[in-house]
Amino acid sequence: MVKSDTRTLRFWIGTVLVTLFAVLCVAPLIYMVLVSFTDSPTLYISWSDIDFTDFSNYVYLFVSRDFARPLLNSVIVVVLGCILVNLVSCTMAYGFEKKPIRGKGLLFNIVLATMMIPTQVVFISLFVMMRQLDLMNTYIALVIPLIGAFGVFLMRQFIHGVPDELMEAAEIDGCSELGIFLRIVLPMVKPAVITLTVFTFNSAWNSFMWPLICTTKSEMYPLTVAMSTLTSYFETNYGPTMAAATVSFSVPFILYCFLQKEFVEGIALGGLKG
Amino acid sequence: MNGEKRTRTRLTRRHRQELYGWAYILPGMVVLTVFCILPIFMTLYYSFTDYNLAQAPEFIAFSNYVKVFTNTQLRKALVNTVIYVIITVPLQTIVSLLAASFLANFLNSRYGKFLRGVIFIPILVSYVAAAAVWRIIYNSKGGILNQIIGVFGLDSVNWLGDAGTALICVAVVAVWKSAGYFMVIFYAGIMNISVEVKEAAIIDGATPRQRFWYITVPILKPITYMVVTLGVIWSFQAFDLVYKLTGGGPGFATTTIAYVIYSYAFQDRRIGYACAIAILLLLVILAIHLVEQQFFKEED
Repeated sequence: MVKSDTRTLRFWIGTVLVTLFAVLCVAPLIYMVLVSFTDSPTLYISWSDIDFTDFSNYVYLFVSRDFARPLLNSVIVVVLGCILVNLVSCTMAYGFEKKPIRGKGLLFNIVLATMMIPTQVVFISLFVMMRQLDLMNTYIALVIPLIGAFGVFLMRQFIHGVPDELMEAAEIDGCSELGIFLRIVLPMVKPAVITLTVFTFNSAWNSFMWPLICTTKSEMYPLTVAMSTLTSYFETNYGPTMAAATVSFSVPFILYCFLQKEFVEGIALGGLKG
Repeated sequence: MNGEKRTRTRLTRRHRQELYGWAYILPGMVVLTVFCILPIFMTLYYSFTDYNLAQAPEFIAFSNYVKVFTNTQLRKALVNTVIYVIITVPLQTIVSLLAASFLANFLNSRYGKFLRGVIFIPILVSYVAAAAVWRIIYNSKGGILNQIIGVFGLDSVNWLGDAGTALICVAVVAVWKSAGYFMVIFYAGIMNISVEVKEAAIIDGATPRQRFWYITVPILKPITYMVVTLGVIWSFQAFDLVYKLTGGGPGFATTTIAYVIYSYAFQDRRIGYACAIAILLLLVILAIHLVEQQFFKEED
């Protein structure tokens, strides 16, 4: 494309700088993994301190600190969250986009407006509500704030592209209303469902403020909150802390390696919710 | 007779479709109303009350809001938040724009694709994990950053413990975490610039620098604005990093508005007061949104 000046000095300087930037992006994470394989009480670590066959920090996490439970909690929250978010988003988006509901413009704008609300505004009263409903320390409480207008907004844009003629043809062929939704509309917006799932996965897996507020019992902590208590507990024992961070990071990272395109799209689109 | 029957069936069909429509949106509407819209109004109501969870909320009109303006800790938090925004937003915007621009125009190869994939990775890390790693990197006793500057003969710095450096250090982690995200957005925008425009510029003899300033930057104006707006809104709500990296300290050196809201509401149980601050934060963010909307109107 731009062949004439690709091999100039400027090109090489640029390449070096971008490479350096990429190295800076991953270096802290490589460091994290390395420290998780040491048992050094200080940070003056040499290569000989790193032993990749020594999983003692990980064993300690899962055996002595019962990290399997927060890991399981995070998995449950992510799975429940993805199912619920997709369910609510797809049905609402379909209703708003394809059904003649009186006053739907106003309703949809109200739903959209909630996207601009800072989380703190919602979280304080949601916390009060969860206490009154006796839902503190439940998966329901952990999952609920994941449901939001963004998914509806995203799905509606995609369902807009499903031609009405196709749905009408299916109806004439005797397809039931639910059949049209499940067998015509949903398969056509599958990429959007994947995008929304990836986005929900990433925000649910990494969410911290709300779980910190709505869980008070350690058996309900998701990974982030469990990790947070660990770092407060071990101010100077770096190995287990970094092992926990590595465990938490490895799940999205492994998925990212397999679903890079979906991750980039899901998270890039997701951020538009603001 | 026949015509009348047709109208009737068409009407019932429309009614039936509307009924189906309600069946699709109602469950979601109820969930969103109860857990998303209702809390906003509850927060607004609590902001006019004295409420500590133990006793029923007591209406005190604007007292919370009056108190906000004499709260020196909050004023400090506001200043910190603004400084934090001023450091993070330009830095992450410029770094991500430059990286995206170079990758899209000059390194559109397999290696470039690999670099893009790598630069995106910090997004996948939770703020809690990121904070844990960076705490060790910033550690005053033997942290790798101090080891590195030690090689150059510089004295160790207590990065997170010194009021002069702590906020900058938090901001650097935020930029590290989100630059890749904004790079992806810029990259998509640059790839959308038509090949003809680029080729025309090359034929006209525009240098790479001219092409960057006179083509890429103007065309990316709406995207840049979005990146800046998003960055401002995110940075205004910065909580996780502050909570885990510094806990707002040393002193109040890194206390942000979101952190103050959290500590008032959930540590001190001063729900009413925290709600008043949250509502003010909402107003600030709404103002940013209004400016953004105005901008997009101009673009159309």
